[in-house]
Amino acid sequence: MSQAHTQEGGDDILSIQELKLKFHTYAGEVSALDGIKLSIKKGELLGLVGESGCGKSVTALAIAGLLPPNAEVTGGDVVLDGKNVLALKPEEMRLARLKDIAMIFQDPMTYLNPVLTIGSQMAEITRAEPKLFVSTLVNYRLRQIDKQVEGTNPNPGLPAERERLRHALESQSLGRKELNELTRSYAISLLRSVRLPEPEKVFEMYPFELSGGMRQRVMIAMAMMRRPKLLLADEITTALDVTVQAQILHLLKDLRSEINTSVLLITHDLAIVAEVCDRVAVMYAGNIVEIAEVHELFRNPLHPYSKGLLASVPRADLTRTPDSIEGSVPDLLSPPSGCRFHPRCPKAFEVCPSRKPSMIEVAPDHYVSCFLYGGLNGKNNNT
Amino acid sequence: MRLYEYVLRRILFMVFVLFALSVLIFYLTRGLLPPTTALAPYINPRLTDAGKLSIARAVGVATSSCPSFSDFAALQNGCITPLWTQYLYWLKNVLVGNWGYTLLPGISGTESTWSVFFGRFPYTAELDIVAAALTFLIAVPLGIISATHNNKAPDHLSRIVSLGGYSIPQFWFGAMLLLVFVLYVRIGGLGLLPASGALGTTCALCFSNPGTITAYTGVPLLDALLSRNIPYFWDSVVAIILPAMTLAITSLGLLTRIVRSNMMEVLRQDYITMARSKGLKERTVVYSHALRNAILPAITVTGLLVTYLIGGSVIVEIVFSWPGVGSAALVAADVLDINFLELFVLVAGVIIVVTNLTVDILYAVLDPRIRY
Amino acid sequence: MSHEMKQPEKNPAKSRRQHSDLRFALHLLRQNPIVMAGLVISVATVVLALLSNLLVNGAYWHQQNLTLRLCWNNPAFGWPVTNLFNCGGQVYPLGTDAYGRSLLQMIILAIPIDLQIALEVVASAVVIGVVFGSLAAYMGGLIDEVILRITDIFLAVPWILLAIVLIVVLGRSLTTLTLAIIITWWPWYVRLMRSQVIGEKEKLYVERLKMMGAGWPRILFRHVIPNSIYPILVQSTLDIGSVILTVSALTFIGLTPNPLLPELGNLSNQGIEYFFTAPWLIIFPGLTILIISLGFNLLGDGIRDIFDPRLRR
Repeated sequence: MSQAHTQEGGDDILSIQELKLKFHTYAGEVSALDGIKLSIKKGELLGLVGESGCGKSVTALAIAGLLPPNAEVTGGDVVLDGKNVLALKPEEMRLARLKDIAMIFQDPMTYLNPVLTIGSQMAEITRAEPKLFVSTLVNYRLRQIDKQVEGTNPNPGLPAERERLRHALESQSLGRKELNELTRSYAISLLRSVRLPEPEKVFEMYPFELSGGMRQRVMIAMAMMRRPKLLLADEITTALDVTVQAQILHLLKDLRSEINTSVLLITHDLAIVAEVCDRVAVMYAGNIVEIAEVHELFRNPLHPYSKGLLASVPRADLTRTPDSIEGSVPDLLSPPSGCRFHPRCPKAFEVCPSRKPSMIEVAPDHYVSCFLYGGLNGKNNNT
Repeated sequence: MRLYEYVLRRILFMVFVLFALSVLIFYLTRGLLPPTTALAPYINPRLTDAGKLSIARAVGVATSSCPSFSDFAALQNGCITPLWTQYLYWLKNVLVGNWGYTLLPGISGTESTWSVFFGRFPYTAELDIVAAALTFLIAVPLGIISATHNNKAPDHLSRIVSLGGYSIPQFWFGAMLLLVFVLYVRIGGLGLLPASGALGTTCALCFSNPGTITAYTGVPLLDALLSRNIPYFWDSVVAIILPAMTLAITSLGLLTRIVRSNMMEVLRQDYITMARSKGLKERTVVYSHALRNAILPAITVTGLLVTYLIGGSVIVEIVFSWPGVGSAALVAADVLDINFLELFVLVAGVIIVVTNLTVDILYAVLDPRIRY
Repeated sequence: MSHEMKQPEKNPAKSRRQHSDLRFALHLLRQNPIVMAGLVISVATVVLALLSNLLVNGAYWHQQNLTLRLCWNNPAFGWPVTNLFNCGGQVYPLGTDAYGRSLLQMIILAIPIDLQIALEVVASAVVIGVVFGSLAAYMGGLIDEVILRITDIFLAVPWILLAIVLIVVLGRSLTTLTLAIIITWWPWYVRLMRSQVIGEKEKLYVERLKMMGAGWPRILFRHVIPNSIYPILVQSTLDIGSVILTVSALTFIGLTPNPLLPELGNLSNQGIEYFFTAPWLIIFPGLTILIISLGFNLLGDGIRDIFDPRLRR
């Protein structure tokens, strides 16, 4: 049984090791993350499932450096593409959020500023650090020009523009007016690529004029604008209709392959996971209890909690009624000792309340944190 | 509803409020005071009784069947017109601007109340506008800093300042400023700033002989600029500092508190988290996102501020002997010049109601959600 | 998946919330020394008001001793006026006023008078506000419109002008002074109560009470009002300080019933008249007003912050 941790560096874009986090509230300290281990490979779409309150969103916020002031990281690392995110200074973190990490949230109504147009909320991204976007914008425009030149009736001014842009690319700087125009047309093209009808009009609209699904596409477009290395999608379909859900998910998948971004898809809905994810991590009460490749998990869930989750999904063929997991989510102010699932676990035995099981690779690329599969001998550290 | 419908509704409402206000003020004065007091601004004491009676009839307090002026003064039955009739006459006079002659001492009895009031009004307006500008200039940044540094030193300090301003008696603060800048800080035997009046000529920072100006508008600061008389302008500025600061410091509490609480609420919103997650500079987040949303509700407090300022100028004008309508109001109260007070109340009412209307319309224009 | 049913609004959750409310309140109180200061000052003021007759003879303010007027002999500090009158033998800690009475004793006598007026005004305004505000909100329709418009009219005038007119018309006495302030103050309370009740009456338990057949007076007076009254009480604490400011402003400009009356604004009125000969006459009464109103404002502000759900954490 190999010690379970993901490969060092290599083709991991994100690697979280033993991350511990707590919140200071007036009622006491809430132990939100209890030493989680997670990693995402480059270009991978990892699903993170769990019930509400298990710490999924907190994990995403921790990666993006957006934790509220009363949160305290008490241990562990978050390494994004070789950089330890937790050790970054605020300004460096901000730049990381600009260029490397993009986050999309659950309810696009409250996450878009109601008094600013969609366009201004997209344009301000490039205005924040114009230098970082010069290549993206110029290359986009150059591709456009190339297409037009080959087409019928090209605008005679194009070759001159092409020269100007190549020059800008070399010097890595753009004039203000040029920046604004390029940003605008780039943003509109992104709105088109997320399949919004009449993207030029959408650009000038206010958030309240759009439907939920459209707003969510706008959020995706905003994320794509930065061509991030890692995309954090926190329950992005929860507030949408089922039909729109499917569209958004497929859009996400397509964009992922276009830009080769890695995605952390947070959800409580197993159906979504089955639909689009490559691998999936199951989370419970601040711990990752199982990680596996999607089909593997559905075929062969190991952790009692995962089994319970899968059993509680209603099946279309009505072969049996869904079971529910007994008990309720623990209060993280005073979490259960040892393995946090033991009060609800049908298979719990004596060692479970005494210490936390460590993560073990039971099958190739299938990890589980449960004493049923090993870790009983003391040589595994008790975290 | 569309914008013009909204404006129309608000204007109608405004007219209604002013109308009702006039009824209220009429009843308070004419209804509770003897008709002879109500008549006083319209008659010249040297008139004969017959003359007084005919004026009493013209103003609508005495009936045409009243036999003599002494009967009227004794409130004989059948001599006094019913209150609602009096109101109609009164309203007519209001609308044509006939407020009778002033009863204020020291002014010739042939000066009309209207001209006395509006002769002094520009001074009060000047004071209030400068104070309003100062209030905004201090309160908004204070509120922002308080919100972005919540519960740390700047927040506590600004809360003390705004709460302090709210708790300070205006007359006391004015007196303290006088004490410091006129009595304590003296240069060459003169106080640093002038002790009274709208034009400072006897202070260390004053020009002792600023010359004259042409009264284009009646507002000294503007007139001085228009007349290109810089020493006069300077002397006017120097004189307005202390009273304006008194008004501003005591009025900024409300605005600071509203800006602060609005900013704090806005900064908790999800779109602020979103803005930060986009990697925007914190300054952009605070000003382009948070402030835009927070400041809008804050402007609705302007009407309240105007009310505060007009009321406050009564006190401040007395402390600084400022020649505005506030200080005159008190004298009017002493000599029972009811018309002056009525005029003051109605003018104040018009200003406040129009301010509220403007603010509401502005709000509708600036917030895209309301328009649709 | 877990099947979390919506928790009914019943006792276990409520008492747990109340318990944590209290803990939170204490936590914030500890965290906020400013509010503690406000509490201390307010309590001290009330105590001083209650004890004032023990400290100073209640009839003291009637006497006048014009030879001792406007004098200062406290050796601790002086004033930048050209000459200070001497007070003779007895040391007056805060000098004397325009009638030769010790300013310190006058202030001590004035505190209960001002506080009493403030409490009367606030209590009356609360009662009027609660009654009319809740009626307007609960009844809705025409009653609501009428009451609302009436408040609009009163709020369209600066309070001091309205008060001046009232006092001119009704004569000068402590009663008319109190009445004038109540008349300018009540619209706020009506509005505040109204907005509270409008929110409260939409809540689920009101619907349930109606379904159980409870009549509107019972619902309104036994349930809705007690649940909405919190912000009113907070506001009234804050307003005690503001009313004292208001009263003293009115007497300062001269609308006092009796120039001899020991009242903080009244003393300040003398003060502004003799500012260049006896500045202490306006400084110390004003300072007293400042401290008292600051105390109540800090207290009220702190209470508001503690119980404002939006500002939690």
